[in-house]
Amino acid sequence: MDIRSQISMVFHLDKCIGCHTCSVACKNIWTDRKGAEYMWWNNVETKPGTGYPTKWEDQGIYHGGWEKNGDGISLRGAGKRKGLLNIFHNPSLPVIDDYYEPFTYKYLDLIESAAGDDQPTARPVSMITGKPIDIKMGPNWDDDLSGTPDYARNDPNLKKLSAAEQEAMFQLERMAFFYLPRICNHCLNPACVASCPSGAIYKRGEDGVVLINQNVCRAWRMCVTACPYKKSYYNWHTGKSEKCILCYPRIEAGYAPACMHSCVGRIRYLGVILYDADRIHEVASASEGELINRHMDILVDPFDPTVIASAKKNGIADSTIQAAQNSPTYKFVKEWGLALPLHAEFRTLPMLFYVPPLLPVMATVKEVRNRKQTEKLGPISKVWDNDWLYDTSTEEIWGTIDQARFPLKYLANMFSAGDESKIKERLKKLMAVRIYRRWKTVGDITEKKAMDALREVGYTPEIADNVYYLTSLAKFDDRFVIPAAHREHAIEMLEFTGDKKGSTGFGFKEDTMKRGL
Amino acid sequence: MNNWGFANQKTIAAICVVSWGLIGSNWALAQDSGKELFQQRCAACHTVGEGRRVGPDLVGVNDRRSASWLLKFITASQSVIKSGDPTAIGLFKEYQIVMPDQSLSGEQIKVILDYIKEPGGGQEASAVTATAPEATDQEIAKGQDLFQGKIRFSGGGPSCISCHNVKNEAVFGGGILAKELTTVYSRVGEQGLRAILTNPPFPVMKAAFDGKPILDDETHALVGFLKLADKENAFHQPREYGWIMFGSGCVGVIALLSFYSFVGRRRKKYSVNQEIYDRQIRSE
Repeated sequence: MDIRSQISMVFHLDKCIGCHTCSVACKNIWTDRKGAEYMWWNNVETKPGTGYPTKWEDQGIYHGGWEKNGDGISLRGAGKRKGLLNIFHNPSLPVIDDYYEPFTYKYLDLIESAAGDDQPTARPVSMITGKPIDIKMGPNWDDDLSGTPDYARNDPNLKKLSAAEQEAMFQLERMAFFYLPRICNHCLNPACVASCPSGAIYKRGEDGVVLINQNVCRAWRMCVTACPYKKSYYNWHTGKSEKCILCYPRIEAGYAPACMHSCVGRIRYLGVILYDADRIHEVASASEGELINRHMDILVDPFDPTVIASAKKNGIADSTIQAAQNSPTYKFVKEWGLALPLHAEFRTLPMLFYVPPLLPVMATVKEVRNRKQTEKLGPISKVWDNDWLYDTSTEEIWGTIDQARFPLKYLANMFSAGDESKIKERLKKLMAVRIYRRWKTVGDITEKKAMDALREVGYTPEIADNVYYLTSLAKFDDRFVIPAAHREHAIEMLEFTGDKKGSTGFGFKEDTMKRGL
Repeated sequence: MNNWGFANQKTIAAICVVSWGLIGSNWALAQDSGKELFQQRCAACHTVGEGRRVGPDLVGVNDRRSASWLLKFITASQSVIKSGDPTAIGLFKEYQIVMPDQSLSGEQIKVILDYIKEPGGGQEASAVTATAPEATDQEIAKGQDLFQGKIRFSGGGPSCISCHNVKNEAVFGGGILAKELTTVYSRVGEQGLRAILTNPPFPVMKAAFDGKPILDDETHALVGFLKLADKENAFHQPREYGWIMFGSGCVGVIALLSFYSFVGRRRKKYSVNQEIYDRQIRSE
C-alpha cells in the first residue's frame, strides 16, 4: 500500500448553465498573452457536439491516451518506439484550424475613425498574423447547437449508437443538450507525462497536480497528441507546451482555482482524495467493463486506520488527511456514488469526476383537455387553443429515466466506458433525492413513495439530506476543502533551510552597497 | 590627463605614418621609367624580339602602326575592334584574346613606346630568367593547395579558386568570375604564366593583388600545378549524360516522394474542420 494524496475535482453537470464564466476567469489569469491566445485551459462544451478542439474525443484522429496491449497498456500514439520514430514530425498533431484562429476586433476604429457617411466598423483581425480575417471558428462555436449536422451529429460519442437511436435524439420534440465544462483531469496515469521525450512533465508529489516544467520542455509536442483530452497546448511564441496548472499558486495560498471560485452555478467541488499508487498499473490495465469499478477501488477510505498509517508513513500531513476526511469530492465519488470520470476508456485514470446530468427535464408531451382550465383564465391571459400538455410530472418513479430523451447509451459512452447500468444507477440516485425533496417541499408525493425511492438506491434520508445540502446549499468552505500546502516540507526536500538562517531579512534579497571601508 | 596625452601622441604618430606612405607612393610614381613600366604592364604578354607570347612580338611596332592608333588600342582595344578597324580585327582573330585596357596616361604610353624604339630596348626587360627547373611532385601539390586556398598566399592575396576554375579531379567547384584556367599553360606558356602571376596585367587581378605579391616559390608551385592540369586535361574525357541524367533525376524525385508519402500515409493531413471551412463564405 502506497498512499498518496490527490486534489480532485467534481463538476455537477445538472447545475452547469453554460455561462463560460469559468473559461473567462481562466483566460484572464493564465492565457491572455502572446502565443496562448487560442488556448482555453478551461472550456465549456455543448453535448452533443464536437467540442474543442473539434472531435477531441475521436482518438482515431488524434491518437491520444492508452490502449490495452495484452496484459499491460501502451500509449496509442507515443511511447518509446512510436515516439522516437515520429519525434521530428508528430503525425497526429492538431493544427490551429482544429482549435480555431484566435481573433480580436479593431475596436479603436470605432472611436478614432474620421467623420464620414458610413458608420465605422470594428473589423476582426487575427491574433496570430495581425491581419484582417474572416472568422471561421471559435472555441465554443457549437454552443447550444444540438441537432446541427456539422456539430451535434458529428459527436464522436454517437458512433456506438444505432442510426435509429441517433435519429431519435435529434427529433425536434426530443432535442436536448447539456454542458460539459472541461479542465485538465490531473490524471493518476497521465499519458502526457508518459509521452514526454524530455521528461519535462511531472505529477507533483504533494497534491498530484500535473505540471510542465517550462525550463525543460523542448517542444516535441508529444504531450499535445498523447493527452486524450487535448488539454496540453503548444505555445507558438515561447516554443513550450502549457496546460492547466489547477491554479496551484492559489491552492497553495488556500484559495480555490479561478474557474471554481468564479463559477456562477457553483457546480464545482474540490477536495483531497487518498489513493493507492501501488495499484495504478493494475487498474489502468483492467478490462473495459471493470475500469470504473477498479478506478473507484483505488480511491481509499480516509477514515481507515491502515490507510491513515500508510499515509503518515509517506509523509502526508495530518491536515491533509483531515482535508481528505472532509472532502466533498470523496463524498460525491465514493460515499454517495454519484460522480463518474469522463472517458474512463482512455485509461489515464482522470481525477476530475462528473455528476451526470439528469436534466434536461425528461418530460412528455401528451394530449389533455384544457378547456376547463382555459375557462378559468382572465381576459388578458394567453390562451392555448390546442390540447397538448408538456408534462414534467413523474407518474412512475423511474419511468422517465427509461424513456430518457437521450439514450442512456450516449451518456454511458461519455462517463462509464459504455456501461449503461452505471449511468442509470447514478441517475436513479439523483432522481431519488429529487423525489425525496419533492415530498418534503411540495408534498404532492407520498412519504411512502419517497422512502421507496431512497430505499431502492440504497440511500437513507440522512444521506439524501447531505446530498441535497452539498448540491444546493453548500457554502464556499463546503465546496472547496483545500489542505494547507505545507511548502515548508516541500522546500526542505530541495534545500537545507539552515543555510538561510541568519542571512535573510531586510536588505538581503540583493546585496546592499558596501560602505567601502 | 595622462591618458589624454597618450592618445594624442598615438594620433600624431598615426598621421605621420600615413602621410609618409602617401608621399612615398607619389615619389614612386614619379620614378616610372620606360623599362619599369614595360616590365610591369607589358612583359607578361609581349616581348621585344623574343617571339610571340600571349600577344605579338613588339619589335618594330612603332613602324608598323601609327602612334595615334597605338594610343587608342592600348587604352581601349575593344572599342577599336568594335569600330571595325581591320588591323585590330585581324589581331583579335589571330590571338583569340582581347588585350586588357591599360590605365596608363598618354605620357606613360609614349615613354613605353620610346623605350621599345631604343636600339636593344625592351630586350632586357622581356628577357626572362633561364627556364626554371621542372616542379617536383611536392611543389605541384603545394600549387594545388595554393590554388584551392588550402594554403594562403604568404603575401595575403586571394586564392585563385575564388575567381578561377580548373577542370581537374583535385579541384572541385572553382570560381566562374574570371577565365577558366585548365589549358592556360598551353595558351600562355610558362613564361607568360610567370609574368602574369608576378605582374598581373588584368585590371581586376591587378587590383586584387595590389600590394600582396605572389612570391617566387609560390609562382613556381602554381605554374607546376597548372602545367600538370593542362597535361592531364588531354586524358580527361568528360562524359555526356544528356537525357539520362535528367531522366534519372526525375525517377529519383518520384521514388523519394513516394517513399515519403508511404512513410507519412497515416499522417493527419487536414484540419478536421476543413469541410466546414470550405463551405464558409469569404469576404475576399
